[in-house]
Amino acid sequence: MKIKEEQSTLVFRYVAIVILILGSVACLFPFLLILSASLTNNDSIIRDGYHLIPKEFSWAGYRTVFRFPEQVMRAYGITVFSTVVGTLLGLFLMTMAGYVLQCKDFKYRNFFSFVIYFTTLFGGGLVPWYILMTKYLGLMDTYTVLIYPGLMTPFLIILMKNFIRSAVPDEMIESAKIDGANDFLIYYRIVLQLSMPGIATVGLFLALQYWNDWFTTSLFINDTKLFQLQFYLYNMINAADSISKLGAGSGVNVAGDIPTESTKMAMAIIVTGPILFLYPFVQRYFVKGLTIGAVKG
Amino acid sequence: MFRKTKKWSGAILSIALVGSILAACSSKNNDSGASSSAPAASPTSSSSESANASPSGSSGLDMSKHVNLQFYMLGDAPKDLSKIEAAINKMAQEDLNATVTFNYTTWTDWDQKYKLLLSTGQAIDLIFTADWTQYQSYAKKGAFLPIEDILPAAAPTLQKFVPQDMWDAVKVDGHIYTVPATFKEYVTNGFVWREDLRLKYNLPKPVDIPTFEAYLDGIKKNEPGIQPLAIGSDVRGALSDTFREISHNPVGAPLPYGIGIKYDKPGDVYSYWGSDEQLQDLLTYKRWADNGYISKNELNEKTTNQEKLTTGKAAAMLGDNPNRFNATLNQMQSTHPDWNLAYYPFPLARGFATPVHPIHNGFAVPKSSKNPERALAFYEKMVTDKRYNQLTQYGVEGTNYTVDNGYYKMVGDANTNGFPREAMNGWAWRNPEYMLFDQSFDGVKAIFDQLDQIAKPDIFTGFAEDYTSYQAERAALEQVEKQYLYPLIAGQVKDVEGGLKTFMEKAKQAGLEKAQAEYTKQWQQYLTESGIK
Repeated sequence: MKIKEEQSTLVFRYVAIVILILGSVACLFPFLLILSASLTNNDSIIRDGYHLIPKEFSWAGYRTVFRFPEQVMRAYGITVFSTVVGTLLGLFLMTMAGYVLQCKDFKYRNFFSFVIYFTTLFGGGLVPWYILMTKYLGLMDTYTVLIYPGLMTPFLIILMKNFIRSAVPDEMIESAKIDGANDFLIYYRIVLQLSMPGIATVGLFLALQYWNDWFTTSLFINDTKLFQLQFYLYNMINAADSISKLGAGSGVNVAGDIPTESTKMAMAIIVTGPILFLYPFVQRYFVKGLTIGAVKG
Repeated sequence: MFRKTKKWSGAILSIALVGSILAACSSKNNDSGASSSAPAASPTSSSSESANASPSGSSGLDMSKHVNLQFYMLGDAPKDLSKIEAAINKMAQEDLNATVTFNYTTWTDWDQKYKLLLSTGQAIDLIFTADWTQYQSYAKKGAFLPIEDILPAAAPTLQKFVPQDMWDAVKVDGHIYTVPATFKEYVTNGFVWREDLRLKYNLPKPVDIPTFEAYLDGIKKNEPGIQPLAIGSDVRGALSDTFREISHNPVGAPLPYGIGIKYDKPGDVYSYWGSDEQLQDLLTYKRWADNGYISKNELNEKTTNQEKLTTGKAAAMLGDNPNRFNATLNQMQSTHPDWNLAYYPFPLARGFATPVHPIHNGFAVPKSSKNPERALAFYEKMVTDKRYNQLTQYGVEGTNYTVDNGYYKMVGDANTNGFPREAMNGWAWRNPEYMLFDQSFDGVKAIFDQLDQIAKPDIFTGFAEDYTSYQAERAALEQVEKQYLYPLIAGQVKDVEGGLKTFMEKAKQAGLEKAQAEYTKQWQQYLTESGIK
């Protein structure tokens, strides 16, 4: 009886391992293909297609990306800066908002929740947003514009609110109050400590959002010195693409000296690299965080 | 209490869901509408700025106050732009008591950005215009400032420099809205093919569609590894429009909504879509696809056609302009010196060539400009002052380029030079007297000389379409075209006749007749106004 059970578990374990290996290979495969393509000669990609092992080895893709290294490094710096500052500032504001919105003794919490929610449903659209940013706030070509719009994401505020509500029992806040703690102390000493999974989740969302952002740069930044990495690289590839779409009638010449395919892949590697390292660190919170609070309304 | 909140949140959630669906739909609509439509230049900007339009400079240019001009150009800024800007500002400060900021939109979503710049009333003093940026529509909607009254005082030299017939040609509704470029060039199409392969297999020289097809067939038979013809995902632009240009003698630029107009009978407007002419064309494309001249995957293709030629994947392009052909040829020979490309301009087959229309390259002063006089005075310097002009076209002599035997010569290569030739995309302020050409440009010049002999002025590009009354139909048609017509052009539909019928049905549902009727009406009006028969 005992042995039998062990055998079946053993079989199960082997099957599970095989399936997991196949699964990870399937996940790894595209990534390897990208890596190999980024090291292949561009002409060879166009002629022979993608191969797991480069047919003609070449660094040209990376060389193109780093054609003007000081520009890439600067773009890297801008992106890191906006990611770090944006995430920290955003986390601070959103945990505050989440805490306040879930407080039972805050009379207008439903009203404010609704106001925040409302903006996710009915937005002004692109043009009014653009006018607000450029004309009234005067944020064209500033560092602020890279960070400011993402600081209070309604979805993340709601998420944060639900996290805090489920992670911190009311009784705890009540007893802290009896002990003489004020709201800030409760926020700092109790709420923040207890909702770590939520903070990690929201933080990761925020960091990804800032890291992957190219649209803000595309709209509000004209100064090449302020380009974010994603936009800098995207634009490099896009230029050739857009120009060729203009058609012969426009008379605009195709910038022909960029090995587009291999550069694209080299870019993918360069861009995903750093953010990939972020996952293992927040992952343990992340898994727990995803299940908590996401459903409980 | 608890139940109540639950109810509330339930209600909010359901609203949220419905709302997000709606939002998704509407944002999609916005997108398609936005990309296809020019803005109705916001009424606020036009009304608030009209006060500025009153010419105050009629008694000469008032330069007592320092101004900073915002200059907007499409494309990517060159690496050394800040150095050039500093040098220009030093001169402009002295000459005009003004400085300038050169802004570049980049090519990413440039059309959307261009629209935002013009419709949100942002303070811009000079902006690039072209037929392909919808200059006529924007001008008609009041996005630009009429400059005919400002010119004599602010930029008299410029006014004399540009010939009167060019000023007349850029007029929209009787007003001048842009300063046209005076450099005469041709962006007409022409066959591009691999000359070395043609000679090797003794194939006919492509001069029209039958000979071109014979060439493609020869390549297919002799070089199974090479795709005979490169088209790319823009099948309409690269195949259909170009094919029509060489075989059906249409007027000017590609016409929208399947409208057909013959060059020698401009008064006769017919529907190309659904016509027998189109059916025959589609059958030809189908034959090409079946014979394997073009790839089955053409609609998903991302690589540019020029790239396919230079890497030896494809052996021909249906159409490209002389300048681009020359660039492709140079690019190819830098890696494969033994390969060769040849070119046959469509105009030679059609019997006439039209140089670019004056609106093809220009600079306009938007309505939102705070200093229109100074902007024009500065632009005058850019065009007519050799120091300004050459600095912004070629960079710093000695650092970025040298003049060798009258030819332009780049210092280093594109990877090391921070300011290659015309890096500021200065197509509009080219001045033929100061222009320097790379030696490789001689090939283009030879083609231009050929075309000069059969040159005829372009009388049709001045037409300004106003699609405000059928904007919705226009957007819908664009969708239908992509969904039903593109696969037909790519030769991916088995039953061509049936496919065309389905397409016509869908197009009619989308409002084809209304769009065509409106376009025809405006076109006829343009013909009567400009006295073309």
